[in-house]
Amino acid sequence: MINIKKIAQAGMVGLTLLSSQVLAEDPIKIGVAVGLSGANSVVAPGVVQSSELAVSQINASGGILGRQVELEIVDDASGAVGAQQAFNTLILRQNVDAIIAMETSAARNAALPVVSRGKVPYIYTSFYEGKSCNKWMYVNGWVPEQQVTPVVDYLSENEGAKTFFLVGNDYSFGRGMLGFTKDYIEEVGGKVVGEEYLPIDSSNWTSIISKIRSVKPDALISATAGGAPNVSLIKQLKSSGLSVHYGNLAVDEGTARTLGDDATGMYMSASYLTSIDSPENQAFKQALKEKFGDDMKTPNELSVPQYEAFFLYKAAVEKVGSTDSAKVIEALDDVSYTGPRGAIQMNKSRHTPITMRLAQVQADGSIKILETFANVQPNDQCPQY
Amino acid sequence: MALLLDWLSTAGILFIVASGLLMIFGVMKIINFAHGALLTLGGYTAYVVTQLDLAPWLSWPLALFTGILVGMLIEQFVMRPLYKRPLDAILATWGLSIIIGQLIVMTFGREVKFADTPLPGTWSVAGMDYSAYRLLLILVAVVLCAALTALLSGTRFGVKTRAVIMNEQLASALGINAGRIRFITFSLGAGLGTLAGTLITPLSSLDPAMGIPWLVTAFMLVMVSGHSMLSLMVTCVVLGACQMLVSTYTTPVLGGLSIAVLSALILRIRPKGFAYG
Amino acid sequence: MDNVTVAAPAGAQHTAGTTKIGWGVPILIAAGLALLVLGPWLFGGYLLSILIKAYFFAILAVTVDILWGYTGYLTFGHSAFFGIGAYAAGLMFLHQGFSGGTIALGLVLAIVASAALGGLVGWLSFYRGASPFFATVISLVLPIVATQALLSGGTWTGSSSGITGYETFAFSLETWYWISGGLMAVVGLVGWLIVRSDAGRLLTSIRDNEERCSYLGINVPRVKIILLTATAGVAGIAGFGYGSFSGVVAPELAGFVLGTELIIWVALGGRGTLWGPMIGAILISVATAYLSSSIPFAWQLILGTAFVLVIVLLPQGLIPLLIKPFGLHGQAGKIPELVERAAPETHAGTGPTALDMQGVTKSFGSLNVLQGINLNAEAGELIGLIGPNGAGKSTLMRCMSDGAARTAGSVHLCGRDIERRPPEDCVRFGLGRKFQNANIFETLTVAECLRMAGTTLEKPALFRRQPQLALPPYALEVVRKTGLDAKLGTVAQDLSHGEQQALELAMVLGLQPKIVLLDEPTAGLTKTERTQIGDVLSSLAHKYKLCCLLVEHDLDFVEEIATRTVVLHQGEIVMQGSFQEVVNSDLVKTIYSGAHPAGHEESN
Repeated sequence: MINIKKIAQAGMVGLTLLSSQVLAEDPIKIGVAVGLSGANSVVAPGVVQSSELAVSQINASGGILGRQVELEIVDDASGAVGAQQAFNTLILRQNVDAIIAMETSAARNAALPVVSRGKVPYIYTSFYEGKSCNKWMYVNGWVPEQQVTPVVDYLSENEGAKTFFLVGNDYSFGRGMLGFTKDYIEEVGGKVVGEEYLPIDSSNWTSIISKIRSVKPDALISATAGGAPNVSLIKQLKSSGLSVHYGNLAVDEGTARTLGDDATGMYMSASYLTSIDSPENQAFKQALKEKFGDDMKTPNELSVPQYEAFFLYKAAVEKVGSTDSAKVIEALDDVSYTGPRGAIQMNKSRHTPITMRLAQVQADGSIKILETFANVQPNDQCPQY
Repeated sequence: MALLLDWLSTAGILFIVASGLLMIFGVMKIINFAHGALLTLGGYTAYVVTQLDLAPWLSWPLALFTGILVGMLIEQFVMRPLYKRPLDAILATWGLSIIIGQLIVMTFGREVKFADTPLPGTWSVAGMDYSAYRLLLILVAVVLCAALTALLSGTRFGVKTRAVIMNEQLASALGINAGRIRFITFSLGAGLGTLAGTLITPLSSLDPAMGIPWLVTAFMLVMVSGHSMLSLMVTCVVLGACQMLVSTYTTPVLGGLSIAVLSALILRIRPKGFAYG
Repeated sequence: MDNVTVAAPAGAQHTAGTTKIGWGVPILIAAGLALLVLGPWLFGGYLLSILIKAYFFAILAVTVDILWGYTGYLTFGHSAFFGIGAYAAGLMFLHQGFSGGTIALGLVLAIVASAALGGLVGWLSFYRGASPFFATVISLVLPIVATQALLSGGTWTGSSSGITGYETFAFSLETWYWISGGLMAVVGLVGWLIVRSDAGRLLTSIRDNEERCSYLGINVPRVKIILLTATAGVAGIAGFGYGSFSGVVAPELAGFVLGTELIIWVALGGRGTLWGPMIGAILISVATAYLSSSIPFAWQLILGTAFVLVIVLLPQGLIPLLIKPFGLHGQAGKIPELVERAAPETHAGTGPTALDMQGVTKSFGSLNVLQGINLNAEAGELIGLIGPNGAGKSTLMRCMSDGAARTAGSVHLCGRDIERRPPEDCVRFGLGRKFQNANIFETLTVAECLRMAGTTLEKPALFRRQPQLALPPYALEVVRKTGLDAKLGTVAQDLSHGEQQALELAMVLGLQPKIVLLDEPTAGLTKTERTQIGDVLSSLAHKYKLCCLLVEHDLDFVEEIATRTVVLHQGEIVMQGSFQEVVNSDLVKTIYSGAHPAGHEESN
């Protein structure tokens, strides 16, 4: 006798298997736009690595909603025109479900109109000058309210600095950061004796350094674009023989390390340092080493938020059970993730409170943490959200 | 004082970069648009030396050698067919710079990189500390100018070269192998370009497009200075001063412009530029 | 020889005398138009957005082709005008909001600012005696200055970030596609009408032979400045469109890299064809968008290599090469009909002296080439200027025809003082000069060369080809006598040496000059041709009462036709008179045999 029940059961199993195969084959695409060329190219490889690590870890544990995650990486040339092209490619051609990107402010500003038109969730993972708001964007990097105040406070209280010279690249980040810095310095009773900018692709700081030399400020604070401009400024400062207390608002640990003793004595304020002693950080570093071996790039302020953002996205998608953009955007401020930097939840008008560390570069290239500030608030960056 | 040293070192750097171009333009009346790419090539030579943990000084002869080699290839295969078409020669050399640039990217990647400086630290000059390497470059520029001037006026090769510069047909008629002279000067000019690249790299950083900003500046200097190394040095000193003054008293952005704009105006008013006679 | 020779350029692919219609190009154009209309249904969103931008770039490429391919001005800086247009849009909409008024104002600003800058650059680059190198170098400096100006604008221009997020047209992609495609089609059409018109041939004449142009009375610097101003304005419009569409403007749009990319597109697409650069720009833009993420390095390398190969080996470009099998040539154009134009009568004895030189001197430093030249010539005279080599005959010619040539003294042509004026002004005073080497427009047809000659008398039509070609009777005689009237459609470089000389003479006569200078007119001619030219010159002087002055070595020829002979020796006029007088004098004999330096006889 043909056992109908058994056949039906087999059929059900087969059907389920078949459909889960079909469903499982439809991957979730996450686009990553990063400056593979241009000013950010120094830090880009690290960002790519942490993205790849996050994706491989997520996929190894079953993906998101049972679907595998696929990474689409494009070059935004660290600038406006390149970013527009990159986002167009990601949204219109690759049809990504979300974009997680660490970019220069010029790139971000150019990308936002494309994101609005494309209606794709966008997690911006870089620190920046603040007040950038878009219906589809969340930020898990710090803003000046979180990063600048420790530096200025330390320099004026501990080093007795009264006069400050500000140097930056001429674009939204440079001007935004230094604008905030200037206001804060004056708030705490200091004086800004010089403010100079170079275009983002320039690396000849000679005349600015001469100006610094002639003005003789107590302290120097710089806000340049992440990679090359930063390094050339530091190198040229060092070789000019100028000695001044120096706080760098845009430097990351990896860059500081490669500079060797050119960077000794430099102050930095960061949400991530490799010396953070937490189980999440140890696990993260371990996993990075296992995956990339000798090619591993030192994780830093720009690559770690990128890593964490993938898990935040995963949590949001799983919370609402779909990749529908509007729903994910709703959910992103309710989910939190504890990663190498600590607890991150982007629930303060699209930004997140962060634990900041004030540190100083040592002669042997290591970064010594001078003070830790827990859960520094970003204040109200985007009141409309 | 710092301003004075900035000025002299800027002039020196400008001279080093422009000398190779002058060599080629003077003899062949062709603007070598590949000069920027040659500069970049020199920069990456310094990087390679750094990567191999060798003494940074080694990049100098290595760069010179590489540049001469590349120059020979270019002259042989690209420049020769284009002698009668100078505007097209500009274009062909620009195409070459794209090719060289891409080859560099394919070999080294697009990221910005750094090379070690052969002379770190500062020297004390008139009671002030100034970058030792920049001071060294002033010296290098002076030595280079002297050497090239000696080459062009003192040696047989130099005399032949100047004959070709002045009147190629006549020189050929007198038995000078103009083709060989062009070959040698182009290679030498290319080598100088690469050497310049390796000399300027320790000052900032290197990336596949680093040569391009120097390209236009070098041209303007060469066009304004006429045909001798000495007048090039004078041009660099004068225009270098202008650049410094504009950078210091207005913005560095306008300073970067000043050489190009001033050169254009000078040429419009006095087409011979700084040349004597 | 101070001729600036640009290589025999490609783009002129006429076959002698044919008006064959090749189907390659019309099919291409039809296909292009079809794609323009049907695009939104054929292409997806991504490709549409790429194409919209590519069409704006194609407009730029067309302007660069007109400047470089047709007129011979190599420019790396046309992107600066594009950038100005784009920033006009961005700045206007960002700072002043988006409304009908700001749109109109922005557009006007884009055009005016770009055109003004174009005029300025033209003034800087195109002037008497400027070298093409200098013009190219200025075009290099332009985008750099533009970029730096934008970078130093601080928060107002957005500096390195550029300007983003401003409100702009809310059109759909499809609408934008038709707008930019339509604009491109219009620019292409207008450009095509202009370059194939009679006036458009002027551009090619300038590219081929600037000197000849100025000796036809054409003010070449002015033409170039006007051209640059106009194309700059068009580039500004394209930039405005781009800025309005993309919502992001950054300094790269005005920069050097884009400027050089334009040249690459034009070179690969085929310079001097107009449709070639258009197609080249579109294809390369699309390919770059798709390939730069998958094979970024290889693609740039391919482009660079293709570029170098094209420049060295295939100057006419890649796309014409591919279309060639299908027949490149569009309609070669109807051959015009020759008609006579009535020449004003000149009577000997009335009116001002044709040529009056007083105390003319020319020295190079301490070397005196000409000293104290006093020379008169009247209408109807045929003067033979003879003397040994190095006497200064060519220099004398130059001093007659170019106000800047002499060091001292005065020259009057038909009563007008030439002061320091350039050749084109001397031509307008009534001078015509025929050079020793056939100085013509190599890639133009005979008819087109002749039409160019009449530019000062009859402005060439801007959008059409005139069906008739008017020449004065003596020019017609030359054309008919030498058989050129059967070869009106032949390209000038395909003519024989003698025919080219005749063509040049006809062109010079087409000016309806009052005084004609001829530099060794019989050099290289066959015996028949020599006789022909002798007849022509005689009738010019005797029948039409022109004043002719020839430098000649062929003394038999001079004897046959000259009314007066002037002997020049070591920079001075040593004797004037009838041929017999001169040739039989002891003075002249010793000069020619070089026995001893001649005494300084005051000639009368």
